Amino acid sequence: MISLVGFSGLLLSFLFSLVIIISYFFYNKKYLGQIFYYSIYLSFFAIIISFVSLIFAYVNSDFSNYNVFQNSHSSKPLIYKISGTWGNHEGSMLLWLVIMACYNFFFSFNKELDNDVKKLTIFFQTSLYLCFTLFVICTSNPFLLNSIEVYEGLGLNPILQDPSLAIHPPMLYIGYVGFSLILSLSLAGLIFNKINIKWIKTAKNWTLFCWSMLTGGIALGSYWAYYELGWGGWWFWDPVENVSLMPWIAGLALVHSLMMTQQEQLLKRWIVFLAILCFSLSIFGTFLVRSGILTSVHTFASDSSRGIFILILFLVVTGFSFILFIFKSEDSHKKLNLLFINKTSALVINNIVMLIACLTILLGTIYPIIIEVLTNKRISVGAPYFTSTALPILLPGFLLMSVAPALSWQTNKLPKFKSYFLVFFTMSILTLVIGYYTDFNIWGFIGITLGLIIITSSILSMYYNSIKFKSKNFFIYNNALIAHIGVGVMILGVTCSSIFQSEHNQTFVLKETKKIGGYSLTLDEIKISDKNNFQELLAIFTLSNSNLDQSVIKPGKRYYHVSKIITTEAGIYHDWFQDFYIVLGDEKEGEWNVKIYKNPLVSFIWFGIILMIFSGLIGIRKE
Amino acid sequence: MKKIILFLPLITILIVSSFLLIFLLQKKDPNKPPSALLNENLPEFKIINLFDQTQVLTNSDIKEKIVLINFFASWCAPCKLEHPLFFDIKKQHPNLYLFGIGHKDKVIDALKYLNRDGNPYDYVGIDNTGLIGLDFGVFGLPETFLINSSGKIVYKYLGPLTKKIIKNEIQPLIQ
Repeated sequence: MISLVGFSGLLLSFLFSLVIIISYFFYNKKYLGQIFYYSIYLSFFAIIISFVSLIFAYVNSDFSNYNVFQNSHSSKPLIYKISGTWGNHEGSMLLWLVIMACYNFFFSFNKELDNDVKKLTIFFQTSLYLCFTLFVICTSNPFLLNSIEVYEGLGLNPILQDPSLAIHPPMLYIGYVGFSLILSLSLAGLIFNKINIKWIKTAKNWTLFCWSMLTGGIALGSYWAYYELGWGGWWFWDPVENVSLMPWIAGLALVHSLMMTQQEQLLKRWIVFLAILCFSLSIFGTFLVRSGILTSVHTFASDSSRGIFILILFLVVTGFSFILFIFKSEDSHKKLNLLFINKTSALVINNIVMLIACLTILLGTIYPIIIEVLTNKRISVGAPYFTSTALPILLPGFLLMSVAPALSWQTNKLPKFKSYFLVFFTMSILTLVIGYYTDFNIWGFIGITLGLIIITSSILSMYYNSIKFKSKNFFIYNNALIAHIGVGVMILGVTCSSIFQSEHNQTFVLKETKKIGGYSLTLDEIKISDKNNFQELLAIFTLSNSNLDQSVIKPGKRYYHVSKIITTEAGIYHDWFQDFYIVLGDEKEGEWNVKIYKNPLVSFIWFGIILMIFSGLIGIRKE
Repeated sequence: MKKIILFLPLITILIVSSFLLIFLLQKKDPNKPPSALLNENLPEFKIINLFDQTQVLTNSDIKEKIVLINFFASWCAPCKLEHPLFFDIKKQHPNLYLFGIGHKDKVIDALKYLNRDGNPYDYVGIDNTGLIGLDFGVFGLPETFLINSSGKIVYKYLGPLTKKIIKNEIQPLIQ
């Protein structure tokens, strides 16, 4: 019953979207003009009803729905029943549609843009929406009925039963899908040749929003991998991580270009290109993940017909956009004001660096596929490729970041050049000296120096611009610099946690105490308890430092009855300056194998990211 | 010149997409990497018996038998997952020669593992240096090979077997 309601909602939403498309062409007629906007609302509400009924089916464990049967179980806690709705291919595609409709709905209240551009944007957005709805209805319908009568479901993959994963997909999708609106906006702007101040302001706000959400989504996924997978790291250059990183980098370049164009109206063509690129990469990522071409924890039941559908969708959308781009984007006759070092040249370098980084990651991700098609051999491209190519490419960008906001538009001068140079100099010397007395590592040195330079010079720039510094709206005026500080903090965290990570393999018997890097660690107790849908084994460790401050760390293992899977839950002790990260291994004659990682400054990564998201969102309010 | 640059993204997309399309149409499964050994003769090997270090098994000993070779190790978690299934296979196909190879494993650990979880194999060899695995191109445990009666590798699976795979892919080849 509830499946029927859901499917009707989906169909209705599709039909109302068709009405939007048709009524667009008769907009000048009196009544049809009203219909245009009303159908947007109706299509939006229909898809919401559809989505809510799917959630309802999950909450009530309605196993007559095939999707619920495949991915849920009645003993699951409520929150995972709800999040299970988007923890599978079909449900997550429905979520994709909901978010797409949301963007269309909220955008229809825009008052900034010229009416013709706005309507055409809605037209394009709706066309994209129609394509994706068709995709869901034809290949990934979440409302299929179960042909046999069952009383229990198959259960959700246990590693996905986690609070941060409950909100990771929605946030990520808000980012991914949001780029569709940016694409529609640029196509509409191109056709009417109206990429003006109003257009840029609107595009900037929406892009900032999507980009911030995408950042949050990626960070949540990474945080999840950090404590759930038990590998001691937070980024593995997994194909799925790469495909989310690519639109993120392109989006970052777009955000910067949009911010800059407010002063200089020259990069229009470039902006349109980036806008098309962002959403193209989003669909491309979806294709790679959903077609089952690549294996990873995210590969849902794959199906090659699904893959072909998305590939065609990708070709149609990007092909159309880029063809329009070739013929409609106008040549700017004004020359860019490029000097050796001014804001414009910094921006151009920033964009080139990001684009190259993006292409490098793209190449690494699809290279195995190309090689397999050509030679029928399988190779894998792993983390070493990415760390040794993408990171060095990004270096000049990071370096530039420390001074770019302080550069001028017109001249080659950096105001207060001496103090910036002093910062650069002292920080390098400082890290070098500290590095000399501790264990020196060239990448560690570069990373830490870079992070410190970015942070201090951003603070310096804030301070020098006294009007902005003393302003009441301190955060709004300085949001770009705050974001840069966030990046600096993150670089510190990334460098320290990956280069100065120490790993200890130990065996513990009960009540045994061992010294680990200045701390003593005791295995107090092994506790086995039965939870709702899993059995849990917890090892309770006490960590105490020289001041006898004690804290408890509880790594464990869970056995999920339904799916017969054992998961490891790392136990983490968070501190501002380091994480103690314990993974419980197997037991042998009363001895427990334990892997202990000491990860310095991991919290800096999350803090830096929060700063970036915060300043991104604040930037929306900036005039 | 400028126009050509504008066409670049479109051309790139077309090239990339055509590769992806070819890949999709070939219906390759990422879990089943192409093996150079497939439909080739079984590599020459000589392997020591796990239970009796004086006994050795070579190619000639398994001539004209249908053999299922399973590379496992006591330290490999997915191996434990598929382990019970071999009892089922053996029950259904008593004539199938089940040949287990303890890959990069210590003799004591492998013995302990089989004592605890049971031994479904007709013969268990120990490959503690991993050299035999190298000849078979093993790069992740567990790996399973099916050899037909003329000594050719007819099937290879990477990762833990499941009931579905046994039923749909292995059993038709045995019968």
